[in-house]
Amino acid sequence: MSQPFDKLFDARGMNCPMPLVNARKEAGKLEPGQVLKVMATDRGSIADFQGWAKIAKNVELLGQEEETVDGAGVYVHYVKRTA
Amino acid sequence: MNKTIEPVWTAEDLLASIERRESFFVLDVRNRDEFARFRLEGREPLPAVNVPYFEMLELGGQDEMVDSVVACVEQHLAGQLPRDLPVLSVCAKGDTSEYVRQGLERLGYLSANLKGGMRAWGEYYSTRAVVEGPDLAVYQISRPARGCLSYVVSSNGKALVIDPLRHLHPYLELAQSKGFKIECVIDTHGHADHISGGTALASASGAPYHLHPYDAIHPMDVLPATIPYNAIRDGQLFKVGQVELEALHIPGHTLGLVALRIGDRYLFTGDSICIGSIARPDLGGKAETWAPLHGRSLRKLVGLPGKMIVLPGHFSSLKEQNEAGLFAAPLDDLKENNHGLQLLAQETEEGFIRYLLENLPPFQPEYVDIKRVNAGLLAPSEDEASALELGKNVCGLAQASGTCNGETI
Repeated sequence: MSQPFDKLFDARGMNCPMPLVNARKEAGKLEPGQVLKVMATDRGSIADFQGWAKIAKNVELLGQEEETVDGAGVYVHYVKRTA
Repeated sequence: MNKTIEPVWTAEDLLASIERRESFFVLDVRNRDEFARFRLEGREPLPAVNVPYFEMLELGGQDEMVDSVVACVEQHLAGQLPRDLPVLSVCAKGDTSEYVRQGLERLGYLSANLKGGMRAWGEYYSTRAVVEGPDLAVYQISRPARGCLSYVVSSNGKALVIDPLRHLHPYLELAQSKGFKIECVIDTHGHADHISGGTALASASGAPYHLHPYDAIHPMDVLPATIPYNAIRDGQLFKVGQVELEALHIPGHTLGLVALRIGDRYLFTGDSICIGSIARPDLGGKAETWAPLHGRSLRKLVGLPGKMIVLPGHFSSLKEQNEAGLFAAPLDDLKENNHGLQLLAQETEEGFIRYLLENLPPFQPEYVDIKRVNAGLLAPSEDEASALELGKNVCGLAQASGTCNGETI
């Protein structure tokens, strides 16, 4: 997926809940319409970002993907600030 | 009055608290579907509330986790959390729940965190002696969260392991501390609800692994197992030290299910007869064909001497523990109190088959893959294995009480 993004937040190595807590702060700093790419190694972040995007205001989860970087699974989330 | 409690509970602490019948409240901050699939259960359903941590973040509206917890609890949960009972904070791995515990502590709740979360609870093992002497010792090794039971039978420094579960440390540590050598590993059947430790324990201890050949074929794939095994036959004797175990082929739950008996003393029933339930016949996808076999096998088992102590492969609720903390009961007691065995005695053969087929709990889709793993047809990573095994077993028939599949709220 070649989803364009405006800012990258690297949450690799962070344990739950920090990828989401910190990505939420970063998303809050975006302009409406901008996209944050989050990279995490915590597998639980897949379901957590989905659940969070459903209830959070002004946020849309554009997509998620799984990559392998240096042999380790990386979970990528694209979060758009909508308003 | 300044009550305080231990802020960190290990899985062992949790089990001890449940067994002491202490009261506490659970605040589970995992996703709602994870909570629905696998939640903490005590002897009775534990009072609990499920609020995913990301909902706490949004409801609390603060930047930091602990601040959001404080705001969320004050504004939305204060009426639901008890002030006079410990509130155990629970998540998947025990990190997020510690932030939640800190928020609760700031608000003056008696708060504790489940260390390692539901993963640690799900993978916690408890070992108890059924009987312990030099000529014969039997240990029951359980995974309390999953309701899985396994056994070590030892005699004169030698041991045989029945239905070892996925993690090998409980068996290897017991062998080391008691000074016996594991010489034989047996799976009573090809398990559907959990990943067997059978072949791994056999190779770790240099012992042969035994399985009935009918369970060395995946029932849905109709593919042969790739694992190395020795075929068990009906009536086969397994000798360990001075003790002899006899295999009884009792097809029904699986085609290759065997029970093992030690004389007229102990009966390892696999999943066929448990304390509060009997096995379901549908996990191979052939319920109509297997149910009559199951009925006949159960009739064979209940014909054994009634004083024999039944040592089952599963339990459905911690309520089934006896005074000694064991899942064990004389066969006669089960004939009197186990609903499935009561019906077996009352019903005609056809009536009993109808009962079996009308009380099947929902089929767990993961069970097909777990049987593949146990046959060596699939090799999951540690994370995948853990995910496949999440939640409590549902190898027994549905019961009127509804405690069987862990969905009681």
